[in-house]
Amino acid sequence: MTHNNFWLKKIEISVSEAEKRTGRNAMNMQETYTAYLIETRSVEHTDGQSVLTDSLWRRYSEFELLRNYLLVYYPHIVVPPLPEKRAEFVWHKLSADNMDPDFVERRRIGLENFLLRIASHPILCRDKIFYLFLTQEGNWKETVNETGFQLKADSRLKALNATFRVKNPDKRFTDLKHYSDELQSVISHLLRVRARVADRLYGVYKVHGNYGRVFSEWSAIEKEMGDGLQSAGHHMDVYASSIDDILEDEEHYADQLKEYLFYAEALRAVCRKHELMQYDLEIAAQDLASKKQQCEELATGTVRTFSLKGMTTKLFGQETPEQREARIKVLEEQINEGEQQLKSKNLEGREFVKNAWADIERFKEQKNRDLKEALISYAVMQISMCKKGIQVWTNAKECFSKM
Amino acid sequence: MAGGPPKALPSTGPHSLRDMPHPLAGSSSEEAVGGDSTPSPDLLMARSFGDKDLILPNGGTPAGTSSPASSSSLLNRLQLDDDIDGETRDLFVVVDDPKKHVCTMETYITYRITTKSTRVEFDLPEYSVRRRYQDFDWLRSKLEESQPTHLIPPLPEKFVVKGVVDRFSEEFVETRRKALDKFLKRITDHPVLSFNEYFNIFLTAKDLNIYKKQGIALLTRMGESVKHVTGGYKLRTRPLEFAAIGDYLDTFALKLGTIDRIAQRIIKEEIEYLVELREYGPVYSTWSTLEGELAEPLEGVSACIGNCSTALEELTDDMTEDFLPVLREYILYSDSMKSVLKKRDQVQAEYEAKLEAVALRKEDRPKVPADVEKCQDRMECFNADLKADMERWQNNKRQDFRQLLMGMADKNIQYYEKCLMAWESIIPLLQEKQEAK
Repeated sequence: MTHNNFWLKKIEISVSEAEKRTGRNAMNMQETYTAYLIETRSVEHTDGQSVLTDSLWRRYSEFELLRNYLLVYYPHIVVPPLPEKRAEFVWHKLSADNMDPDFVERRRIGLENFLLRIASHPILCRDKIFYLFLTQEGNWKETVNETGFQLKADSRLKALNATFRVKNPDKRFTDLKHYSDELQSVISHLLRVRARVADRLYGVYKVHGNYGRVFSEWSAIEKEMGDGLQSAGHHMDVYASSIDDILEDEEHYADQLKEYLFYAEALRAVCRKHELMQYDLEIAAQDLASKKQQCEELATGTVRTFSLKGMTTKLFGQETPEQREARIKVLEEQINEGEQQLKSKNLEGREFVKNAWADIERFKEQKNRDLKEALISYAVMQISMCKKGIQVWTNAKECFSKM
Repeated sequence: MAGGPPKALPSTGPHSLRDMPHPLAGSSSEEAVGGDSTPSPDLLMARSFGDKDLILPNGGTPAGTSSPASSSSLLNRLQLDDDIDGETRDLFVVVDDPKKHVCTMETYITYRITTKSTRVEFDLPEYSVRRRYQDFDWLRSKLEESQPTHLIPPLPEKFVVKGVVDRFSEEFVETRRKALDKFLKRITDHPVLSFNEYFNIFLTAKDLNIYKKQGIALLTRMGESVKHVTGGYKLRTRPLEFAAIGDYLDTFALKLGTIDRIAQRIIKEEIEYLVELREYGPVYSTWSTLEGELAEPLEGVSACIGNCSTALEELTDDMTEDFLPVLREYILYSDSMKSVLKKRDQVQAEYEAKLEAVALRKEDRPKVPADVEKCQDRMECFNADLKADMERWQNNKRQDFRQLLMGMADKNIQYYEKCLMAWESIIPLLQEKQEAK
């Protein structure tokens, strides 16, 4: 947790509760939604004690609003993603229902994670709107909208256009875009197969539960074998029911992967912004070049490029020297302006690339750290599952030996 | 038993089963009780049987004990079996070395049967012959015919659905070999069946086909007589102890059937799990090609999942080859045992009917007519043999299932141990700090 400009001391953030609420929506229709309690604590340096400084309730749509705002104001930052809006990659036992308590619980953790990511980001943590999100319950939505960020947002169409037409994007961004596309594809695939694996594993464990019942029934007709069979059957029941906890733990691993699946989209957003800026720059440069060309032609009288003015001149006669002078003057002014603009756009572009790349490097290290940890915890889960399996079957074997 | 007071066996007074000589043993068994006797070699071959010459052609007595035909010695042998170890055994049979034979008419598998024995019934101390499934089938039906009062172990299923199972695959042949070996070992362990003449021929004859073709009738009197028991008699009530056995076998077969279905279902689920795992592992590998620092850890996880997949495949193969066949065997066993119970019922029914007929005739005869006596003998002999066999079967069943279920637990333990080892070995890889880029 880094220091925050607004609090001037360490803070702890937690999304501690989730509550079902009913209210009226924009169209005055009744709706049910979940509200999440966000608690902020400031930590005293000296004794490490934390004091609750703020606590308020927010719903998912407000988190979305916060993120959209951040995306617009920090286009060079890889903005942390929100947990999924709807449950996806579910294996059959899990509910796809948004109101399902397990889903709500996992979402609560995901939202907490989201806030912690922002709070630990060196740049994002300083944002005023973020500060207000944590401290100002009422009126926050209005405050955000007043920033006018929606107007500043680049249109998707514009962004798409830029993607196809940009000529010289920075190669690093092109590669990064590729990487984020592939990452998204591979993690989706992984999550889908993992869900199927979980389904099958569930089936294997649960069928073993049937042994419990049949061993019990069989033991009723046996004399010496009865006890051994009966107690072994009990262990089969234990085995069958152990899978529920095992798979619940594995969901946590799936959530960690999902975060990075969504992070891939955030990476792409930064690349898109670069493409847009680069495209803008290229258009401006093109425009400037053509104006310079026009100017030169007017001055020298040669027509190298096709222009409407040139055509009309040919058709309707030469213009007067005064008219030509006037036009040259206008063009020269425009060229000056254009050169200024190009300079600033270039600067902007270079700044963007520098800052974005710094954040991308930070992100890469974070990603490597997090995913390594996720893999380790997954391996630990598998080890625990194997050990439980050995335990149960060893117990059963002992019961069988007493038959 | 229906009818009058317990009928005394010819020439003996009422005794407990233990003390009574085998009702069909005839005069020679009276000398045999408690003593040494070796019937003449003539008895090894079939000859016409008179009423008095009721001797089971079991190829004679083992040295040092009374005639195997007597029930007391039967029980003696049961006790002996409990402490049989390498030293007291005198007959060893092994089935191995399957070989494929391709002929113009057909292709088939033969197995080598190796016999080692110190018994006098065997001319040589060691034999090695080759037999095919048909021959085992022949042996089994001969045993059923000649020893109808005993429980004959089952053979693995005769027919395999072509196209579903490859009759010549290594797994199928090995599974069959184990079952055939089990079959012969069960006969070897049986105090009466192991002395059966057909069994001897099966183990020793160079060319079994000669014996099959000649259709030598080595039927015992008992076999012959049970064969001719008319099925027209209906038993009123099964005696309590046999009713209990019947009930037990019914429930037992039912439970085994359920276990068989569960085991099959588990294997099916495990195979489907395996299919998904085989897709899951490689995705980590694909991912690792995109990464720098994470490449090794991801590749490690992929390899790990691959190892677990292999371990799972071994588990499912083992269960299919070793677990399921034994279950099926016992289901077949209990089926054949139920038929023996029914035959016993028929024998009893005939006896009771004849007895009743005699009583109804109201003739004042000093002695029970001979044929009623014969029926009684048959019945009592059957009951004795069946009870003894049931006890031995229960014992063996307990051993077999103990071993089978412990084996199942073991295989699962080994599977988890293999997976545990795989995951534990990649933890250090995952925790490794990469060198500075």
